[in-house]
Amino acid sequence: MAVSKEAHNLVLSFADDELCIGQNHSWWIAIGPFLEEDLAFTSIAQDELGHARALYSLLTDDIDHLAYGRKYSEYRSAHLAEFLCHDWSSALVRHVLHDMAEQIRWSALINSSWTELGDTAERALAEENFHIQHGLSLLRRLLSSDEGHKRLEPVVLELVPHGREYFVDCDLGLVDNGVLTMSMADQEQMWIDQVTETFNEFNISVDISQEAQGMGRSGIRSNDFATLHDEMVAVIQIDPKAKW
Amino acid sequence: MKTYEVFLKKEGKDPFIHAGSFDAPDDEMALTYAREAYGRRSEGDQMWVVLRDNVLVADELELGMANRTHKHNDGQLVAELRRAKSSNES
Repeated sequence: MAVSKEAHNLVLSFADDELCIGQNHSWWIAIGPFLEEDLAFTSIAQDELGHARALYSLLTDDIDHLAYGRKYSEYRSAHLAEFLCHDWSSALVRHVLHDMAEQIRWSALINSSWTELGDTAERALAEENFHIQHGLSLLRRLLSSDEGHKRLEPVVLELVPHGREYFVDCDLGLVDNGVLTMSMADQEQMWIDQVTETFNEFNISVDISQEAQGMGRSGIRSNDFATLHDEMVAVIQIDPKAKW
Repeated sequence: MKTYEVFLKKEGKDPFIHAGSFDAPDDEMALTYAREAYGRRSEGDQMWVVLRDNVLVADELELGMANRTHKHNDGQLVAELRRAKSSNES
């Protein structure tokens, strides 16, 4: 099918979010808080990079170039996905916020009129349900303790407002032509409800009233992006013929 | 943290086989970690995760004493006697 500009950008945003989150999660390889969590978290990192790859492959035959070869301003990643989160509290909270959004975003693509995209969503959603279960059970467990609550609450309050940016893409015509089965606004509302409910359970009232600026989608990168991008392209710079 | 034991079974007639052990804070997380540590490459079609405290452990001394040669009878001796007897008769 002919892919509209909106559909192309939607998939590219999603792919860039997944690329950044996969790269960021993989920073924890071998230094996760304990062995079992290390394995689980970095296995999720691999899944996310797999999602990025699957999405890029819908847009190009040269995945490496699209993933690593663009100018900073041509990336569309949300800033929440770009943040380095080099302390475990923020890595965990971001993991949960990201995966709650991701689950909704894949769900809105199931049975898409863009058949390959719909098939990709179906495969990804199976993994995603596991990711969210992993993140939520660990987060709930930690929030149930005084020490965990004390350390996580400020991080939650700081990161939550950035989450709405995942839903900033323009969906003009995408529900009508069946690429999306749920508008971006409906997806966003679903995410806000889920996040609010999750943290209310632990007496953390998050403020998500502020509409997202969508800086990432308009080509403006967060301060962390350069460091993240250097890590991403480290291999391809040593060996330009390396294949993903 | 509690210690859990993991058993995996492939499709077919093979029984569940012990795959290893790991630590987790509770049962819910145990299933998550077991899947990632021992099943992320489809090593098994079925998985049992058992709290190690629930495993009944047999006495090692008694197990050692059970190793008696007469319980390893493979029928060799009887077969030889039979052969000898039949060759004597012919």
